[in-house]
Amino acid sequence: MGNILEIKNLSVKIPAHGGTVSAVRDVSLELKKGETLAIVGESGCGKSMLCKSIMKLLPERAVIESGQIIVNGTDITGLSDREMTKLRGQLFSYVFQDPLSALDPTMTIGRQIAESILIHQRNLGKEEILARINELLTLVGIKNPEERSRLHSYELSGGMRQRCVLAIVLASNPRILLADEPTTALDVTIQAQILDLLKDIQKKRNMSTVLVSHDMGVVARVADRVAIMYAGKIVETGTAEDIFYSPAHPYTQGLLKSLPINSRGKDVLETIPGMPPSLMRLPKGDAFACRNPKALPIDFIEEPPMFKISDSHFAASWTLDKRYKNSNLE
Amino acid sequence: MSKKIWYYLRKTAIFIAGVFILTLVVFFISRLAPIDPLQSYYGERVEKMSVEEKNIARDRLGLNEPVFTQYFKWLDNAFHGDFGISYKYKQDALELIGERIGNTLILGGIGFIIIFLGSLGLGLWCARRENSLFDRIVCKLGTILSCVPEFWLALVLILVFCVMLRILPSSGAYSVTAANESGLAALGDRIAHLILPLTVVVLEHLWYYAYIVRNKCLEEIRADYVLLGRAIGLTKRRVVYRHCLRNLMPSYLSIMAIAVPHILGGTYIVETVFSYPGIGSLAYESARFADYNMLMLLCVLTGIVVIFFNMLAQILNEHIDPRIRAEQTVSGRRTADFRQEPK
Amino acid sequence: MQDIIAGVRNLTHEFQLNKKLKIRAIDGLSLDIRRGEILGVVGESGSGKSTLARCMMNIYRPTEGEVFFKNIKCSDRAEYKKHAFELQTKRQIIFQDSASSLNPRMRVIDIIAEPFRINHIVPIRGSIENEARFQLKYTGLDEELLYKYPGELSGGQRQRVAIARALAMEPELLVADEPISAVDVSIQAQLVNLFKHLRNEHGFSIMFIAHDLAMVEFLCDRVAIMYRGRLVELAETKELFANPLHPYTKLLLSCIPIPDPRAERERKHPDFDETEFDTSGCLTEISEGHLLLCGGEKSNNKKGSLAIG
Repeated sequence: MGNILEIKNLSVKIPAHGGTVSAVRDVSLELKKGETLAIVGESGCGKSMLCKSIMKLLPERAVIESGQIIVNGTDITGLSDREMTKLRGQLFSYVFQDPLSALDPTMTIGRQIAESILIHQRNLGKEEILARINELLTLVGIKNPEERSRLHSYELSGGMRQRCVLAIVLASNPRILLADEPTTALDVTIQAQILDLLKDIQKKRNMSTVLVSHDMGVVARVADRVAIMYAGKIVETGTAEDIFYSPAHPYTQGLLKSLPINSRGKDVLETIPGMPPSLMRLPKGDAFACRNPKALPIDFIEEPPMFKISDSHFAASWTLDKRYKNSNLE
Repeated sequence: MSKKIWYYLRKTAIFIAGVFILTLVVFFISRLAPIDPLQSYYGERVEKMSVEEKNIARDRLGLNEPVFTQYFKWLDNAFHGDFGISYKYKQDALELIGERIGNTLILGGIGFIIIFLGSLGLGLWCARRENSLFDRIVCKLGTILSCVPEFWLALVLILVFCVMLRILPSSGAYSVTAANESGLAALGDRIAHLILPLTVVVLEHLWYYAYIVRNKCLEEIRADYVLLGRAIGLTKRRVVYRHCLRNLMPSYLSIMAIAVPHILGGTYIVETVFSYPGIGSLAYESARFADYNMLMLLCVLTGIVVIFFNMLAQILNEHIDPRIRAEQTVSGRRTADFRQEPK
Repeated sequence: MQDIIAGVRNLTHEFQLNKKLKIRAIDGLSLDIRRGEILGVVGESGSGKSTLARCMMNIYRPTEGEVFFKNIKCSDRAEYKKHAFELQTKRQIIFQDSASSLNPRMRVIDIIAEPFRINHIVPIRGSIENEARFQLKYTGLDEELLYKYPGELSGGQRQRVAIARALAMEPELLVADEPISAVDVSIQAQLVNLFKHLRNEHGFSIMFIAHDLAMVEFLCDRVAIMYRGRLVELAETKELFANPLHPYTKLLLSCIPIPDPRAERERKHPDFDETEFDTSGCLTEISEGHLLLCGGEKSNNKKGSLAIG
């Protein structure tokens, strides 16, 4: 299977008050056709910025410092906004955390879907558009599409809103779907439904998905591959099995250990001490070192490169270095 | 449907009651002012009049009766279309205003339309180019212009265009000679007389409202639906004009509804400087000389304008924003009714 | 019977949306919080969890029913006034979004000192500064944060400041309205440990409102499940998670995502056509300490309706 999306050494910086925020630091990723890649990280670790830089929807001040974004074999890094506008929607699309604010409160759901259809297919008749709207709403699991398409966003529940956002996004038939915490604002019961729906649609449409989340449970449910992000960097990538069953990076290990399900019967939860660093003032060396109780001296001096663990599993931690392993053996 | 009719009937009733209360308040307050209305009727002669003569004059004008009786008499006459005479001009007040209101409506009305559309356009334009050179220049320039006093701007314009360049007339609504000219020439003359006053009216208000639009639009641009619109392939321009505009319209319309009397009334100084025969000068005189009947009529007119435009704004807002509709009308639907999730 | 510190009886709270429209956020709810326990309250958004918290704290006036704290009936205005000092200091609340619940123009020390000033309390540890230092240290924060503004802190630190402020009054009851849902995963675990520590070492009674069931299972002693303003099930945590009886509870439990990809992929979510559950009927004690909303339309269960406590 080929790669539909490839990111090579991408760095994004945002000038701000009192310094520059290094939102994305030297990120390399690939997304295969039809797969779901989950990007996991804490708030402010740059995962949303990474998604927005793929779509080139970054805030105006943000600069792509270096790196390449290759979609379907073409490099889109240097494209102008006008050229990007043509690609957006058809090639990739974006789903947000908060479906209420993602919908225009003054327009009916139907009109918003129609707008999305009309961007890429100008010459559709009224009947055809109505049929397409119904088809899309049925696809995202909304019953009585005709009736529902006449409603406004404030008349719908959270889950319904997220379904409508999906319908709007799917109208232009994107090849890649970037879903930025699509279920965080929803209830658990509805979260499960939306996740199943996402998976189902992905199979039907043969889409590739990038799912951004902080919830390991959600990731376990839908992801084929997982990338763990910390302080703007990808610290570990691998298949879901690699990450969940044999995490290699101390941060990943800490994240999994701190889940309550892994502390059942114990009196306290395992925690990662400290707080994530500010992306404006990154420490020297490994950004995670100051929270890592088992940090090596070198962690505070030099950033670790990506070490290969298996064909699918990579992690950036000095503990994987041969020299460290050897010294351990001695 | 009948619900809707009821709704509008209720609104109209509130509207009428509003005007009624306004007349009541203005009537009594104006009576409290320490000015002698006879002064406006007799001018300087009033100083030579004896107390008896004054009393007779008061009787004749009905000013000696209790204030309540005066009010109900006025109200009764007003219902029959008689708003009394202006003390100063000794002419029927309605007629007097009728003669002049056209001029004010042309100046203020055209000014208002230009301000309404101009502010919207300029505001959106600036919002789309936030922090660009254009935006920054317009922001600075607009602030300076809003701070310049109207009369000073008017005088400078007169100095430049009438005294130095001699290309535009400096005063009046039309030339004395224009009366005998043909339709087209007369129209040209009217327009030439309008240019300077209109420029002053527009420049004084334009940026104030444009700035409101700009900031409101920037708020909207930060909303997620703009990002979603961009993500599905809309251009930024289209998102701003299709979605942001719709969302900022309700607050803009409400502000502009309040602005109508502000802009119409604001033409007063302009009218004075340019000796433009509008009702602005009438309003000023009526308040200064206790020209009660004139004052009352102007108040009623202003009240009608304010309340009418507020209602218009509200109805338009309900049309644009369904959330307001749901709040206002009885048929507001509960979100919870639609909570049912399909499989 | 265990010592009960606070609770509500037949509490109903309605929001008047406009002249014709009322929304019943809480519908005849009775609930007890025992001394020294962490009671978890779980439910979907809009089920009335936050309204319950606010009613407990006298932020909202209940439409019907009563709220009590120890022996004080605090929903009663006269009684509230009489015991205002005790009620205001011995009950404290922590909100979900500390970014908006802390005044951004106040320094951390002023935030912690404010309740002392309002209630004219002389801090036990001498000065307000000492007190604030102590509370910061206690909640695991660095003392140097004392003179910072909330905007300069991270989300986790801010939430700790909110907890420190609540603890400064040495309350007996802490109401925490989704205190961890706006916080990062790695910080969530730290806060949960802090809550557990408060309960274990200092005997705080805590009402912990959350939607993360996994955290609730770890932290809470008893769990109450709310649905559409009604209490549908209440039991000891172990009992509830092992033996859920109400269909809504079952649904909730089946939806907790497990961080185990193989198991999670194979797991089938139960089909549910309707999220409409029957909310009529009354609370019945099924087994000891396990309350369930049943009866309703289907059966006339006459096991004896029970007003708890």
